Amino acid sequence: MSIQSASSTTFPPSDEARLAQQGRLVRRLHRGNAIASSVLWFVTVLVTVIFVAIILNLVWTGLPALSNPTFYGTGSRGIAPELFNTFYILILTEIFLFPISLGAAIFLVEYARQGWLTSVIHFAAETLAGVPSIVLGMFGFLVFSSDAHLSISRLAGALTLLCLNFPLGLRLFEDALNTVPRELREGGLALGATKWRTIRTVVLPSALPGIITGLILTAGKIIGEAAALLFTMGLFNPANVFTLDPTLASDTLTTRLYFLKGSGAGSSGLTSAQETLLAAGISAILILLLLLINIAARSVGRLIQRRLTAA
Amino acid sequence: MQYSQRARWSDQIARAVFFFCAILLIVIILAVIGFISSKAFSIFFEHGGTSFKTFFTIDNWDPTGVNDPTGNGHPSFGAFGLILGSIVVTLFSILIVIPLALGTAVFFTEMAPGWLTSILKPLIEIFTGVPSVVVGFLGLTILVPFLSHLLTPVAKSLGIVGATAGFGWGAAILVLVVMVLPTTLSISIDALRAVPGSVREASLALGSTRWQMMRRAIVPAASTGLGTAIVLGMARAIGETLAVALVLAGNSLPKHLFSLGVFFQPNVNITASIANDFAETSGVSQDAYWTLAFVLLTISFIFICISRYLASRSVYK
Repeated sequence: MSIQSASSTTFPPSDEARLAQQGRLVRRLHRGNAIASSVLWFVTVLVTVIFVAIILNLVWTGLPALSNPTFYGTGSRGIAPELFNTFYILILTEIFLFPISLGAAIFLVEYARQGWLTSVIHFAAETLAGVPSIVLGMFGFLVFSSDAHLSISRLAGALTLLCLNFPLGLRLFEDALNTVPRELREGGLALGATKWRTIRTVVLPSALPGIITGLILTAGKIIGEAAALLFTMGLFNPANVFTLDPTLASDTLTTRLYFLKGSGAGSSGLTSAQETLLAAGISAILILLLLLINIAARSVGRLIQRRLTAA
Repeated sequence: MQYSQRARWSDQIARAVFFFCAILLIVIILAVIGFISSKAFSIFFEHGGTSFKTFFTIDNWDPTGVNDPTGNGHPSFGAFGLILGSIVVTLFSILIVIPLALGTAVFFTEMAPGWLTSILKPLIEIFTGVPSVVVGFLGLTILVPFLSHLLTPVAKSLGIVGATAGFGWGAAILVLVVMVLPTTLSISIDALRAVPGSVREASLALGSTRWQMMRRAIVPAASTGLGTAIVLGMARAIGETLAVALVLAGNSLPKHLFSLGVFFQPNVNITASIANDFAETSGVSQDAYWTLAFVLLTISFIFICISRYLASRSVYK
């Protein structure tokens, strides 16, 4: 635009005037470039600082709670039951989620031909991934808790989390299987192995690091979920919380945090200051777990790379 | 002979099992849509229900009838305030997210020095999975007091009613920015990365500056991918529950809807209303919450369809 207007002036300007005009244009473009660069620098640094500040703030405000032994106890100011339930629900959900989403991924990558069926399944996965987790929580309450008579229990919570994380698991495991080169499969089939035997002995072992990364990332989602558990797992613990009974109602770290800060001061039997301290501790624990999960997923990822470069 | 027969059988069984797993996904999404829509329309047709017009245009959400002014306990199903709340917080938060996410994504893919990339990349990954209730807690303990502290003198000097609590749409919008930004940012980065290097080289070879190259070549080439990022961010924003519920803290729309203070008064939206009240209701009043869930489901389904349409039109994947 600006170049056109500079060269299509009606009077043919003298060389000097043209040079000056071009010089002005170049200066203007460079100034624009410098301004845009500094704005982008500013925006990026702003975003980074916000992220870092949030993490540091959470860990910092949680430190007083984290350094107090009663925080890890079973009393009303301790989180031992919630910590136990969080890991319980994590394992119970993965028992459903891992084989089912891996199986679906194997079907889509290894068996199904690209066609209407695979695109319908992918469309279903995207749609399910877009359903808000509170709506899936209501769905779980209706189907698992009421219609299937599981009532408000850990099992109903785990099944709801299965619905919630199925699309994510599918995508991660599909990515893992897609990294396995086609030649490996062809080699297996050429040796006369059946498809299932090829998958079992060739594809799955090669895709293992990716599968483990996927497992870890879905674990992070399960630990952080709260909205889907409000109506399916409840907000309170029974007396026999430290048992493996899947029919018990129980809360997790996230739902406890929501109950502490969301249901009005005093409803948990603690003073407001105690509630805030406890909530800060729970937030810090959640963030630290998340960091740990991220580091674990990363080091597994690095393992893949080392393998690929060594091979 | 026997061995190969057994192998073929196990192959068939494995295939059937995996097929079942994949079909389960379709079953789940159909069940979600079916069960929710089976409950969603009863408040319009059953006894004690309401009309479509009331539901979408009246702001009086009282499905249990406890706040009935006549004292007869007649429920009221005007969800206008809730729907408006969800739309307002989603739109305003995405308006803040767009420049932040696009600016950071362009910088990240085109200009960022190595040390900044190595800090930012894990940060984005961590924040994509940060529990929404933790962000809500942070909003409640830091953002709300801060807004209240900041706005009390301003509101007093301008004579704006009520804008002193710090709770409300303003806080919800800022909390949503933190929740949505990582999602939009990481999808935008993927979209920009998918643009091949030849586009950059061609643009630079024509003598454009780096900024011209980004604005006139890279961003248009990735525009559909960036559109997908924004739409998926909106889908996430409208369904976000607990973070928003903690900082909205209201029961109804504020009285003066068209005043400056409306962003800083306790307020409502769909998800917060479901999270706070769904569990304590039953019968027709519970059906009203299913209608709300259906509204959410429809909106997010539309967003997913738009994002799929955009993705199908993109040149570089």
